[in-house]
Amino acid sequence: MNALTLTFTLNGNNISMDISPDTLLVDLLRDRLGLTGTKVGCREGECGACTVLLDGIPVNSCILPAAKVQGRSLTTIEGLADEKRQLHEIQQAFMDEGAAQCGFCTPGMIMNAKALLDRNAEPNDQEIRRSLSGVLCRCTGYQKIVQAVATAGEMKKSQG
Amino acid sequence: MQDKTEGKGMVQVLTKEKPDLDGLLTAPDRKLSVAGHSITRTDDLAKVTGKLMYGADYPQEGFLHGKILRSPHPHALIKAIHVEKAQELPGVVAVLTGKDVPGRNGFGAILPDQPVICADKVRYVGDGVALVAAETEEIAHEALSLIRVEYEVLPAVFDPRDAMKPNAPKVHEGGNLLQKNKLRKGDVEKGFAEADVILKRTYQVPFLEHAYMEPDITFAVPQRDGTMLVEGPMQAPFTVRRNIAAVLGVPVNQVRARQIHMGGGFGGKEDSPIDIGCRAAVLAHHTGRPVRIALEREEITIQTCKRHPMIMQLKIGARKDGKLLAFEGVIYDEQGAYAGLGPLIPPAGGSHIHSMIMMPGPYEIPHAKVDAYLCYTNHPYGGAMRGFGAPQVHIAHEQLIDELAGELGLDPFDVRHINAFRLGSATATGQVLDQSVGLLDTLEACAESFDWKERFGRNDYLDAESSKRRGVGIGMGWYRTSIGTNGDGCGANVYVHEDGSVLLYSGITEMGQGAFTVLPQICAEELGVSMEDVRLVKPDTDQVPESGPTVGSRSTTLMGNAIIMAARQVKASILEMASEMLLVPVERIETKNRLVYDREDPTKSLAFKEVAARCMAMGKRLIGQGWWTPPASSLDPETGQGNPYFVYTYSTHMAEVLVDVETGEVDITDYVAAFDVGKAINPKAVEGQIEGGVAMGLGYALMEEVAMVDGVPQNINLQNYLIPTTLDVPHIKPIILEVENKLGPYGAKGIGEMPNIPATPAILNAIANACGGRVRSLPADPEHVFMAIREAGGPPER
Repeated sequence: MNALTLTFTLNGNNISMDISPDTLLVDLLRDRLGLTGTKVGCREGECGACTVLLDGIPVNSCILPAAKVQGRSLTTIEGLADEKRQLHEIQQAFMDEGAAQCGFCTPGMIMNAKALLDRNAEPNDQEIRRSLSGVLCRCTGYQKIVQAVATAGEMKKSQG
Repeated sequence: MQDKTEGKGMVQVLTKEKPDLDGLLTAPDRKLSVAGHSITRTDDLAKVTGKLMYGADYPQEGFLHGKILRSPHPHALIKAIHVEKAQELPGVVAVLTGKDVPGRNGFGAILPDQPVICADKVRYVGDGVALVAAETEEIAHEALSLIRVEYEVLPAVFDPRDAMKPNAPKVHEGGNLLQKNKLRKGDVEKGFAEADVILKRTYQVPFLEHAYMEPDITFAVPQRDGTMLVEGPMQAPFTVRRNIAAVLGVPVNQVRARQIHMGGGFGGKEDSPIDIGCRAAVLAHHTGRPVRIALEREEITIQTCKRHPMIMQLKIGARKDGKLLAFEGVIYDEQGAYAGLGPLIPPAGGSHIHSMIMMPGPYEIPHAKVDAYLCYTNHPYGGAMRGFGAPQVHIAHEQLIDELAGELGLDPFDVRHINAFRLGSATATGQVLDQSVGLLDTLEACAESFDWKERFGRNDYLDAESSKRRGVGIGMGWYRTSIGTNGDGCGANVYVHEDGSVLLYSGITEMGQGAFTVLPQICAEELGVSMEDVRLVKPDTDQVPESGPTVGSRSTTLMGNAIIMAARQVKASILEMASEMLLVPVERIETKNRLVYDREDPTKSLAFKEVAARCMAMGKRLIGQGWWTPPASSLDPETGQGNPYFVYTYSTHMAEVLVDVETGEVDITDYVAAFDVGKAINPKAVEGQIEGGVAMGLGYALMEEVAMVDGVPQNINLQNYLIPTTLDVPHIKPIILEVENKLGPYGAKGIGEMPNIPATPAILNAIANACGGRVRSLPADPEHVFMAIREAGGPPER
């Protein structure tokens, strides 16, 4: 297959690289770009651990051809904060509320939560649950995750 | 009763059962500064930033990719295997068959009866008949398709009752009945003769998949010194090491098992890392190169262990007032193709004996009898899954209690209150519960919070138009801490350095439960340093002392005690040295929050690191090693009488559901779960265990089942093996009660498995209470609930 030159914005940086057209986005991120914060739990778009934001919209990167990000803006868990920079409110709230157990679904949960809070800073319990329903977690029973998202919304609001 | 609210739940310390203060490990009067607090997990920052490395995140350069060719038949003889075409494929480095296993061609957590590579026979569709190692995963996949196996298909058996028939196909040469266990207490005939009511019921539960989010992965890396390093997410590194050493035919000290952070285990990653670890090690041994085996989601479902399915027949006799007099039970426990974690490790280890012991429930019953049959079949094999044989029997006895209450016209709360274990009760094995028995406390606390007495019996349709009817249900339960084997023990090393920093060596693994936070908390508490001073050395069999597996809700208690013992050896040096430095008698020296001081005059104090530095300079011991084993387990093989496990956690759950009587759909609308955990070392982590456990129990009740057709799992990915989502799980109110365990660190006992156990029957009882129909064969999905309503004569009247 002919290589394809892919140009897109990744966590605020401009990227241009040659890829094979059959590359899935998650493999591009993990294998070519070394961004392993995005997880693979099922490879069929069911578990949501691979969620990234494409122009702010959560997508399952394990079933999305990488070519689809051409000219668009992509955000992964690595783009939220790193240990040297200030944590994003959602990351801080996940720590404060004890929302991560094994942590495997955590990046997917946080990316979904970010998409929600960016459009609705004060979601109610049902709105949070609906937004996160595409990400499976086997450890937490979701309660502390839902609470963390609510707390992050409050933190964001209080910081203006 | 002292209230101590933490997080969103409620922690209550029950002091009415005051233990003696001379206990080795507990210190009830001591104010704790690190243990007992909801400290943020040590690995949280890495998790929320995406930096935490799971196995799949490790670099793959230099690794060969291992793949397993599995049998398509549940039962067949292997007549011939043709591997030549696969071997010739460019990029293929090795294609191995049964003859290529260098040592024992068998693995297993208890009995090594599962071939690493099947040589002559396959016993389930997950059985491995050939292994491939190739330069890329794609080539390995292609190589599998080039291997041709000639099979002679054999008749197969898929039901434990069929498996015991004389002419049943033999899964193993020794016969299909792997084990028969008996429990005999009192005289059940006499008990039934005295009963006013006798009830008989049968309950059935299917195979369940763990559905941990992180797929299995393993790395086998031959070392320059000839040893073999095996890395991966694993709950039982010492069991993995033992198996790989035997399979390679080398002494145990030639294999090193190192844990990589685990994305969930729930018991499943006790078995599966043995399975893929042995295979990767054999490929690495043959090729002399590092080998990586990563299972896909579908492979996990087909190949790895499941929660045991069971058919359970129960009979109970009671007086009119609800007092239980006699219990009789039969368990047909399906082990599947291989022994896994089913069979007995004397005196009371293994999942099957555990099911038998737990079957009569947490109730005082003078006469009890259980016959438990563990049978091989041609299905995938049964293993540990959060409760190790206890969730199944709780589903049976908790529904039976409710059915009995209905028969007697009594409130199921009252029937439980009359019969529940209390201090001094004797269990069905004749064990007298002499400490830390908070079952009634959980029942009462749960009922008070849930307002049970007001809500029970008030079930009605949501409104005049609605087809949704409300109901409430109780589930009660108990669960052991420890595993009931003679060899159950934990070792820990604690090293203090001249700057006051600490290394803690423990072989207990982290799978999301919080061990890497809770164990350092105990270490810091005992030494009197802060949490940040302790670095935990990750489980690595070359570095940490034998710790046994991370299972059986044993880690906090057994390892916690070992850590306290190790820390006390070092602390003795610190106290003696501080005594000399401060000129204060050693008995008066205390350590806390990085200070070493005179208890009677705290102004006389030294920094912990200052004392540590002096110890180092003066040649005083700063290394400690603790080894803790629980009091000996006992169980008579003929009568099932004895003291199998040294302490138990207790719990009561109450659920409210809405059942749509027209569609059979169930919504859970309210949930309270109370636990006696002895002592919550990290209350927020305990709440996390409770909430997650309830969700898992909910899945068991309402939706989960690995459907089998002719031995082939049908729903092998997460698209059709459904687990609860955010929209299925209700708000859960956790209540944590602390009835001190005299033999636990600061009074703690296990919590990991308990929460999912009573959840399933609480929901099933609520469904029956709402709609009148009872689902006795799980799951209670809309179809089964709808059928149960029909069998009960239709929806209840308005």
